[in-house]
Amino acid sequence: MEEPAKGTVTPFASMFPFDEAKKAVKRVEDAIAEKQKELERHKQFIADNTNLVNLVSRLPDELHHDVMVPFGKAAFFPGRLIHTNELVVLLGEGYYAERTAKQTIEILTRRGKALDSQVESLKANIKDLRAEASFFGSTAAEAAEGLVEIREDYVEKSYTEEQSKSEKVDKKVRVEDDEYAHIMSRLDELEKEELAAEGDNESDEDEHSNTAESDNESGEDECIDIVGSDNESDEDEQTDAAKRGSDIHEYNQTEATFNNFASQTHLETRKAQKQTKVENLSVEALSNKFHHQLDTTDQPNCTGLTVQPVPKDDMSSSRSLTQIKKSVPAEKDLMLPGVKEKLEAASSQLRFDSSKAFTGSIVEHLSNIEKNSQNQTVTSSQTPVRASRPGFDSSKSFTSSIVEHIDNMPTSQEQTATSSQSPNAQPSKPVSRFKMQRR
Amino acid sequence: MASSTAIRELQRDLEDKANDLSKLQKDIAKNHQVRKKYTVQLGENELVLKELDLLNEGANVYKLIGPVLVKQDLAEANANVRKRIDYISAELKRLDATLQDLEEKQNSKKDAILKLQQRIQSLQAGKAKA
Repeated sequence: MEEPAKGTVTPFASMFPFDEAKKAVKRVEDAIAEKQKELERHKQFIADNTNLVNLVSRLPDELHHDVMVPFGKAAFFPGRLIHTNELVVLLGEGYYAERTAKQTIEILTRRGKALDSQVESLKANIKDLRAEASFFGSTAAEAAEGLVEIREDYVEKSYTEEQSKSEKVDKKVRVEDDEYAHIMSRLDELEKEELAAEGDNESDEDEHSNTAESDNESGEDECIDIVGSDNESDEDEQTDAAKRGSDIHEYNQTEATFNNFASQTHLETRKAQKQTKVENLSVEALSNKFHHQLDTTDQPNCTGLTVQPVPKDDMSSSRSLTQIKKSVPAEKDLMLPGVKEKLEAASSQLRFDSSKAFTGSIVEHLSNIEKNSQNQTVTSSQTPVRASRPGFDSSKSFTSSIVEHIDNMPTSQEQTATSSQSPNAQPSKPVSRFKMQRR
Repeated sequence: MASSTAIRELQRDLEDKANDLSKLQKDIAKNHQVRKKYTVQLGENELVLKELDLLNEGANVYKLIGPVLVKQDLAEANANVRKRIDYISAELKRLDATLQDLEEKQNSKKDAILKLQQRIQSLQAGKAKA
């Protein structure tokens, strides 16, 4: 973090050293093994007890039993058990009592119940220890992975204040995750409806993406210029924070759209977009929207991604864009526009799709096309701003992606795959996914 | 070199304290074991008492003394078991008290050792500067 006031970053490994965590795991495992042994012993007791109950219950069936009586260690002699209904029962602590077989069985069953309860408590104990062990294990693994803990004070301030902005966004995004899942489920339903209507609209879509592409080319020149000039960190941070602010806008708007599914909301969204454009900040918002929608349309194809949070995706792809710019400065103008073109074609098209889902009217589409192509020009001319903050923001996005990682631990095989991919491989990812979706 | 002798003294002190601490820890461990034993006995005695209560008046009760079973009065056996339970509970209480005492001592020893270590460190740092 750049500003110390924002929060602290503590490597997990410093709080819980890997070795210590390992040791703790081992100790708990030992405790579990011990308890396990005890449990076995108790089970043995229970088995003995039930055997004894069976034997005692059979004894008084006959007046006498012919048995081989053990004599010393090696010898037996034939004998006869008489008084089959008279038993001397050990009560414990050296006390014995004379009992009939029936009474003995009562005593034994009571003893069996006591044993059962002990076994139950042991099992609960073992379960607790298991949980502890798994916790220690995961802590050790996290420490080994080099996770960091990020603590930030939550400060309630207005959006105009720069510092609080990003913090707020962090918080917001997390809340958004839940809502997002909710929205996703709703969207899945809509997808089905959309699929039905897909056939009619295919041709429209193609036209539309063409428009987007041609619009893009005009924007490319500008974009390269800005890359060079926009390197001061203050400004970057500002735009960054502002961008995050507009993220929220976007989120809320999309959410609203999802909830109402009315063309009216669409208008609102567009208006708001214009507003942000005035502030020259719509870039991120738009690309976010694209990601959003990319994810959305992704859903039916890979159900494993259903809960995948948007912010994560944004981070990785924007990061990867950044990295590409950094690593291949010479090819910048060749490569990026290509990627961008695709992305934007996707974005326009996807937005198109979703608008179709929401309104279901073709008139709406047409107006949207114009709108979108307009937006795209802005997008392409603005993207470089985002690309020009590699030093500062890559670390930032890195940390926040860790937060995501922690949040989504259980769900995300898919996700870890994403994060473990090399940065250079990433740019192709959204595109290829998109392609997959196309088919 | 007054500081070096001071350090040496402090280190000896530290060693002594560490030995004390390990002794205390041993005591605590022993205490735990004894306590465990008594708890088990208490449980067993309670079981016996329950069974004895369930026996009717005329039942024959024997106590194993050495190799032989000695016949005992039911009331007597009952009283004996009760007495034994009382004794064990008292013993457990006593053990708890000593355990608490030991733990307090252990904590104070740990604090003392920590302070000693800090002092040694600061002294060494001072020496390194000078």
